[in-house]
Parts: sequence; C-alpha cells; structure tokens
Amino acid sequence: MTAGVPTEFISPGPQSFDTPPIIDGVDWFTKPVLVAVLSVVVIVWFYWGASRKAAIVPSKLQFAGELGYNFVRNSIARDAIGSTEYMKYVPYLCGLFYFILLNNVAATIPLIQFPTFSHIGWAYVAAIMSWVIYNAVGIKKHGLLGYFKHQTMPAGVPGWLMPLMIPIEFISNILVRPISLSLRLFANMFAGHILLLVFVLGGEYMVFESGNIALGGVGIITFLMGIAIAGLELFVQCIQAYIFVVLTAQYIGSAIADDH
Amino acid sequence: MSEHQDPKPSPPNSGDGWRVLSYLIGGVLVYGGIGFGLDRLFGTQFLLPVGIVLGAGLTILMLHFRYGSRS
Repeated sequence: MTAGVPTEFISPGPQSFDTPPIIDGVDWFTKPVLVAVLSVVVIVWFYWGASRKAAIVPSKLQFAGELGYNFVRNSIARDAIGSTEYMKYVPYLCGLFYFILLNNVAATIPLIQFPTFSHIGWAYVAAIMSWVIYNAVGIKKHGLLGYFKHQTMPAGVPGWLMPLMIPIEFISNILVRPISLSLRLFANMFAGHILLLVFVLGGEYMVFESGNIALGGVGIITFLMGIAIAGLELFVQCIQAYIFVVLTAQYIGSAIADDH
Repeated sequence: MSEHQDPKPSPPNSGDGWRVLSYLIGGVLVYGGIGFGLDRLFGTQFLLPVGIVLGAGLTILMLHFRYGSRS
C-alpha cells in the first residue's frame, strides 16, 4: 500500500467470486447463501409488516406493499397470463420477482455488494423452478399429449412447413427457454460485477500502488467511471429481475393458452 | 390503488423480443446440429454451415408466420 513502490496488479477474474465460508468448518455457508437468506428475511418482514394491520385507509408501509404487489400482479402477471387465470400464479411471480430483485440489488448495497445470481447454480435453480411450473400447468391443462402437441405445433404456419418447424418449436420451447433464462440472469450479474471490480480495483491500483503520477490521474478518472458503471449496474439489476419474471409469466401464459 | 386500474400498463407483447431470441437459438441449434451429425456421418464439411443458415432462415420464416400478421 505504500505509494511509490510498484506492486503487481492482480486482475479480478472468476476467482473473485469464490468467497470463503463465513463460519470456519461450515463449508456451504458462504456469502451468496447469507445474502439470499437476508433477502428472504427482508421480503417476509416487509410483506408481513405491510399486510399485518391491513386497513381500508392504508398506512405508509401497507401502501408501499400494495404498490409492490400490484406492480407484479397487474403489469406482469395479468398482462402476460390473461385476466381469467392469472391470480393463481401471482404469489409465485411476486415472490420470485422480489427475491431476484433483492439478490441482484445486493450487489449495489454497500457492505454486502455481492450478486447472488453471479453463482450460476442459483440461476439454474430459479430457471428450473419456472420450467417445471410452466410445463406442469401446461400438462395439467392440456394433458400430456395435448401439451406436447401444443408446444411443438407453431401457430399460423402453413401445413407443408410443419415438419420443418416442429423440431425448432420443440427445442426452443423445452430446451432453450430454461437455458436462456438462467444464462441471461447469471451472465448479466457476473459480467456487471466483474466490470465493477476491474474499474474500482484498477483505479485503486493506479492511484495508490502504481507509484506513477500520470497513472494516478487516470486512476481517478477510472474510479469515477466505476461509480457511473455502478449506476448502470443498478439499472441492469432491476431490469434483469423484471425480464426473468416477465418471461416466466409469458411461458406460463403460453403453456395454458388455447390457441389451437 | 383500486382493483382494475393500472397506472402504467406495459404492452402485452413486451417479452416477445426475448422469445424470438430463443426461437432463433433453437432453429440454429436444431438444423446446425443435424448438419453437424450428417457431416460426421458422411465425412463432409459443408453441411454444418448449410444447416445453420437453413435453421436461421426457417426460424425467420416461422417468426414471420407467427408474429408478422399480428400488429
């Protein structure tokens, strides 16, 4: 840390995401687990507090809770699933949205600053959960064969093209959807966090450890850019939570639709 | 907030772009994969690119039928 003595710059990489166990000997209890548990506590506390003393004239907390709930219910679930059947899926979509949102925004909150979904396992599980749900509700509604037909016969395609289209429809509905759901969330969180690390650690290195005045000036600019990137990341974190839930809702909507 | 008033309704098709992306990946994957398999089978080299282009083309055709007439 002494100025004037050049030290090696260790660039951030995938190893920056390997956090040590918080308690020695409990290997599974790492930072993402802690962040996820905290987020669940905060969500439960918030919605419990908002609905505990529900009144016709809402308190501030109840108003905030209703605002958050109505956003998912009206702007995501009802629009994507349709106004007759959407209520069944609102609890899942609402819980999913706020879970992903809080875990993403945790990357911006000082002292936490870790996006849970930058560990791909979390993103896989979230996507598999949505995958199981939309397939299950589709099979329940159309029956196994009916649902299979529903997901492999694209609407509006003339008959002579059908044989060529069926494999595309099947692969994209059954295989690509969950993979793209999980990879989109994971890659955005991973890349955003690593970008921030590069800017902030690079700036810090150039200012304090490079021992070069000119580099120090560049380092300050780098650091300021890092703050701008942090603002952009906050936006990306919210958008990714929204996209994940909108797509889940759309997949459920298309699984139970009657367009054939 | 009343029951049926939504201050900012998002368009119902707001996720279509992302679904189109998954179709494009699916089309390229299927026909590229078939091309790759046939290449291995016959020892040729040109069927993989042909399959990729064919898959992308068929997907675009399908998207045209599926979403083209909607608006």
